Amino acid sequence: MSSLAVVLAQAPQTTVINLAPGAGTPAADPNAPIPTPPVLWAALLPILVLGIGGLVLLTISSLLKKGAPRGFYTLYTVMVAGLSMAAAVPLWAKVNGWTKIAWWDFRDLWWQSLPTEAGPFSTLGQAIGVDGLSVFLILLICIAVILGSLLSDDFLLREGLEGPETYALLLFSACGGVIMAMADDLIVLFLGLETLSIAVYVLAASHLKRAQSQEAGLKYFVLGGFSSAFFLYGIAMLYGATGTTNLVAMKDFLSRSIPANNALLLIGFALLLVGFAFKVAAVPFHAWSPDVYDGAPTPSVAFMASGVKAAGFAGLVRVFVVAFGQYAADWQPIVYALAVLSLVVGSVLAIVQNNVKRTLAYSSVSHVGFILIAVEAATPAGIQAVLFYLASYTFMVVGSFGVVTLVGRVGDGRHSLDDYKGLGRTNPLLAAIFTVFLLAQAGVPFTAGFVAKFYAVIAAVDAGSTVLAVIAMISATIAAFLYLRIIVAMYMTDSDGRSASPVSRAERIRIPFATGLSLLLCVLTTVGVGLLPGPLTELSAKGTPSLVREPARTATDGGLTVGTTGTEAAPGQSQQQG
Amino acid sequence: MGQYLPVFALLVLAVVFGVLSLLVSKVLAPRLPTRAKEAPYECGIIPGREPPERFPVRFYLVAMIFIVFDIEVIFFFPWAMVFERLGLFGLVAIAIFAAAVFESFVYLISNGALEWGPIKRQQRSALVSPARTAETTIRRVGLEGRPRAAEEAA
Amino acid sequence: MVDIIWLVPALPLLGFLLLVFFGKRIGEPLAGWLATLMVGGSFVVAVAVFFGLLDQPEHTYEQVLFTWIPAGDLHVEVGFLVDPLSMAMTLFITFVASLIHLYSIGYMHGDERFPTFFTYLNLFVFSMLVLVLGNNMLLTFLGWEGVGACSYFLISFWFTKEANASAGKKAFITNRIGDWGFMVAMFATFFAFGTLDYTKVMGQAGGLAKTTATFIALMLFVGAVGKSAQIPLYVWLPDAMAGPTPVSALIHAATMVTAGVYLMTRANPIIAASDGYVGWTIAGVGAATAFVAATIGMAQHDIKKVLAYSTVSQLGYMFLAVGSGAYVAAIFHMITHAFFKACLFLGSGSVIHGMVGEQDMRLMGALRKYMPITAGTFIVAWLAIAGVFPLSGFWSKDEIIEFAWHKSPVLGVIGFVTAVLTAYYMSRLVFLTFYGEPRWGEHAVREVVQVGGAGSEEEATTEPTESVELVNGLPLTSERKPVVDAHFHPHESGWTMTLPLVVLALLSVIGGVINLPGSHLLANWLEPVVAAGESHLEPTATYILIFSVISTALALGGIGLAYFVWLKGSRQLQRGFEPVFLEKAWYYDLTLAAFMGGPGRRLFEAISWFDRTVIDGIVNGVGAATLGVGKKVRRLQNGYVRSYALLVVIGVVLITAFVLTRMLQLS
Repeated sequence: MSSLAVVLAQAPQTTVINLAPGAGTPAADPNAPIPTPPVLWAALLPILVLGIGGLVLLTISSLLKKGAPRGFYTLYTVMVAGLSMAAAVPLWAKVNGWTKIAWWDFRDLWWQSLPTEAGPFSTLGQAIGVDGLSVFLILLICIAVILGSLLSDDFLLREGLEGPETYALLLFSACGGVIMAMADDLIVLFLGLETLSIAVYVLAASHLKRAQSQEAGLKYFVLGGFSSAFFLYGIAMLYGATGTTNLVAMKDFLSRSIPANNALLLIGFALLLVGFAFKVAAVPFHAWSPDVYDGAPTPSVAFMASGVKAAGFAGLVRVFVVAFGQYAADWQPIVYALAVLSLVVGSVLAIVQNNVKRTLAYSSVSHVGFILIAVEAATPAGIQAVLFYLASYTFMVVGSFGVVTLVGRVGDGRHSLDDYKGLGRTNPLLAAIFTVFLLAQAGVPFTAGFVAKFYAVIAAVDAGSTVLAVIAMISATIAAFLYLRIIVAMYMTDSDGRSASPVSRAERIRIPFATGLSLLLCVLTTVGVGLLPGPLTELSAKGTPSLVREPARTATDGGLTVGTTGTEAAPGQSQQQG
Repeated sequence: MGQYLPVFALLVLAVVFGVLSLLVSKVLAPRLPTRAKEAPYECGIIPGREPPERFPVRFYLVAMIFIVFDIEVIFFFPWAMVFERLGLFGLVAIAIFAAAVFESFVYLISNGALEWGPIKRQQRSALVSPARTAETTIRRVGLEGRPRAAEEAA
Repeated sequence: MVDIIWLVPALPLLGFLLLVFFGKRIGEPLAGWLATLMVGGSFVVAVAVFFGLLDQPEHTYEQVLFTWIPAGDLHVEVGFLVDPLSMAMTLFITFVASLIHLYSIGYMHGDERFPTFFTYLNLFVFSMLVLVLGNNMLLTFLGWEGVGACSYFLISFWFTKEANASAGKKAFITNRIGDWGFMVAMFATFFAFGTLDYTKVMGQAGGLAKTTATFIALMLFVGAVGKSAQIPLYVWLPDAMAGPTPVSALIHAATMVTAGVYLMTRANPIIAASDGYVGWTIAGVGAATAFVAATIGMAQHDIKKVLAYSTVSQLGYMFLAVGSGAYVAAIFHMITHAFFKACLFLGSGSVIHGMVGEQDMRLMGALRKYMPITAGTFIVAWLAIAGVFPLSGFWSKDEIIEFAWHKSPVLGVIGFVTAVLTAYYMSRLVFLTFYGEPRWGEHAVREVVQVGGAGSEEEATTEPTESVELVNGLPLTSERKPVVDAHFHPHESGWTMTLPLVVLALLSVIGGVINLPGSHLLANWLEPVVAAGESHLEPTATYILIFSVISTALALGGIGLAYFVWLKGSRQLQRGFEPVFLEKAWYYDLTLAAFMGGPGRRLFEAISWFDRTVIDGIVNGVGAATLGVGKKVRRLQNGYVRSYALLVVIGVVLITAFVLTRMLQLS
């Protein structure tokens, strides 16, 4: 204890010094304008579209007396998400230095408002960054919203829960996710995290007729709040250590001065990591996920497992790999441990489950382990592997939960392994689709899952974590068994040995149009990426994150004179567009 | 370390105060329980019946709506202090914020959150027993999804 | 001509796709004919490619279809490598597969899932061809997994029987161990060479560090051991006989199980570059497997079981050859074995078909009179596998033993002993099935009890093991009633079944010509592929003569012994030649089952228990100890969230503790 006290005692000294330049003294003149950051509205457009889209949806539904026509909310949500993706495309072009994609020339649009030189840039006082990573994840999260809302359409009708709330919440949480993906500032990151989380808590509890759903929502909320506290505490620690919450400035600071022995910094890393680990459900912060996945409405689970995880990993990559890449040696062991635990616990516990939703929850924990080994590599190849994995996993997991939605039937309660027995006989198409997703999750060659696992392992080995890669492969072998178990249940057994009796109408499951569309997209992508992983590989290779300083507005020479903190970054007066 | 001393001191004091007051009351207070003292309301009036366990959920709703506006004011107030110095940037920001808050209000009203008239007759689900039970509301609402309840009803 | 090589795997794939979509619609005979036609077409194309290949430089041709994974360092193409080795494999695979497809049309007649069977069969042929023709390890691995999956589906084809389903599972799980080895070898190869292409890898293998080469070779061997059913992973193959007999012939005798031998031959430059003990390990495992499996084969009653153990034993020979550096001999034996073992399996299928499903040899006998064609072909194949001069088995086996002797006389002796055993158990099979008196309708049980009358103790000891055998998929209880009664009249099978038998029997006779000691056709053909690893013997004519005489004498000795015991001997004597120890397969299977059912299962349960008890226990314990409110909280039934929260706290504490200790160490 005494030695600990010594460590803590040393910390404030550096802190005090660090704070000095960053704290900033209040302006002498009480009436002088407060410096405000410039705003590039075009860069914020994806966020705004999602957020305003959600609000408008609620307004429309409030004003409609008789409720919207069938399918309107779904269509609306898909369109809003599509619009957000469209708003992100010019940003992608800017980051990559293109002026047009295919026939679409961006120069007529809001191109002028974006920075002139190509490449990643940041705005809002470096709080929002536009780079490959953020645009990639905007696209990914929007895709998750589209797929999730397509699944919800028939589900809500079936369960008698029609209403705009699910869709609005999907849009709000996607908005939060996009903020997380773009955040270059820990406070903004936290803001995104909470926007995302709170909407998802409500989504988890939104099946009003299932007690498990409410239980899930409450559990998720309590534990999520708990972990958010750790996250915030971590931010506070980092602020104490570096005098800023801005990642760009933080990285600058850390590269300029090396704190000899900085307890605050390292504890800050640890606590921040806890917050992320909880969001992505890495062991030992995974305990909520089986219960919540089991209880929450299945289409929402599809979004949780895809969009929420993607946003969580976006933050993790940006903060740790990019901003604290220099301190990789300090956080890598923790991520290493989390990855190993997630891989082993996830796949082993999944085997002993008898509920398919819980099985998939544990399997998603083991997938998180796989992504974490790519994070642990802390290399560009690792980031690429993370993005590739997230993208392909989104389709696999949404597809899987899509099938689970249909098999769950009215009441969303038939999820035990017994309910899947004989599915290959009663619903051959559905069983075949599910088989594709399960095989993809197991990492069978010629599916997206194989390529994704392959890249992750390669990245880990390239970074020298051979043991980790071997553990990952062993756990993948164990996990293959659990997927096989479901497949065997579908094809090899029947509920009561009626192998030849005709299929009764009650047994046959109708695949509604919207759900079918979603499943079709997922199957095509899963198999397509497995056969030709080239395009997605290139795309994820372009999704590189970077922390870019915002050019100072006052400087005439256009040089990059940047202050230590985010608030100081733009001393000029506000320059607002539009 | 010195600068954190007040924080630690406050922490210690808070703990000490809490523990001490509990301890002191336990040690010093004479314990002479009578029936009247153990009654739910120690005010001399003996309750004629058990207090109702449930009251309308609308109370919570109103309280929560109140919080929404509370938060709005919390943001408005500091903005109002410096809005001239913040200029257009502050105006746009607060407008977005106010619009979002107002929209939630519209949603609440249209969903009848503030209607205090006779409660709209909700269609009773066949599975829920109309008889009052000692179980809580959550339990009763949740009956429908439970396989066991479905069997009982059938 | 060589550029149409893509058609070879494409035709079975096309057949598979057609059958998937239209199989049920076109129904029974047509689905089978379609599948047969596709594989037959594949064989014709392969022959055309073979003639084209003769004109190619070094008899090698590589066709790249498209780039599969283009990322960074890793560049994986989908393409076919046609060289002498893969050409030889392709030719015999497509040929044997066509015959077995044809045979299956008759054999599967009347099965309600007739089209599905051919769907799987075509998919299998496709996967096998991808395995053999793939120009890189990843593609081979793909085929490797594909044949494994097909084998798994086909073993449990009649999945309504619990035993068949569990046999399928057993095959799958055992194979995963092998797959793991292959996967690790693949990754190691990639990091050693930066590529997975065979041409590049094998070309550079000579310059590989010894330890790396040893590691890769051993891991590949682990893969081969799983797929080719060698000790200790052979257990799945005997159980795999639960599948339809054509499947046993095609997958579990002729083609898939030889994939391991193919892989080792393909990787011969790596083995050559590795430490000496790798060769010894391979040879040792092969010899041990050959011997052990042959002894087990001596005491089985199920006709397919005998053949299954015989397959394991013959695969052991092939590994013995690989370990001794006799790759050509291994491939030679693989091809001749494919002919005579396929013939034997199909013959046994014909017998089972004729006996309406009876598989117990004790209930057969004298079938020679009822099924002349089946019996004739079977006898030819029997003489071939027994190693009787001048049939094909004689040449290939002799060559292996020669090399083994050269490696070490001990291995040579094991080879000879196994040859005797092979001749003995195969003769026993033939005598019990085709000679003697008809025994169907007899109740084998009573006889066993009477014969072992004095030793009722022995019956008691075998009792518990019988039930375990049932679970493992062996329909071998002595309590079982015969399928047919004494008045039954076995019948010969139709032409679709007998034609393949005749062709295969013919090849069993003349198959040896491809590599006679004088001509060395196969050796010269394979020379470019195995140049790095092949050891060379320059045996003199007398040397060859001595070996031939010895092995012929031994084969005849084995046959003679069987003749006296099984055709002339009393039941008492026969019973003495079937020790329970061998009948129970050295108790290996039972021990394994006992372990997996006991400690192994307990391990998994312990892990799950750990999560339930220890983690929750710690959590609850901490709560109870510190605050003393654990019980109250548990009564409120929402203790779970609390437990989860505590788990989070424990995680935080551990991580923070780690960070702090690390910092203290650094400072």
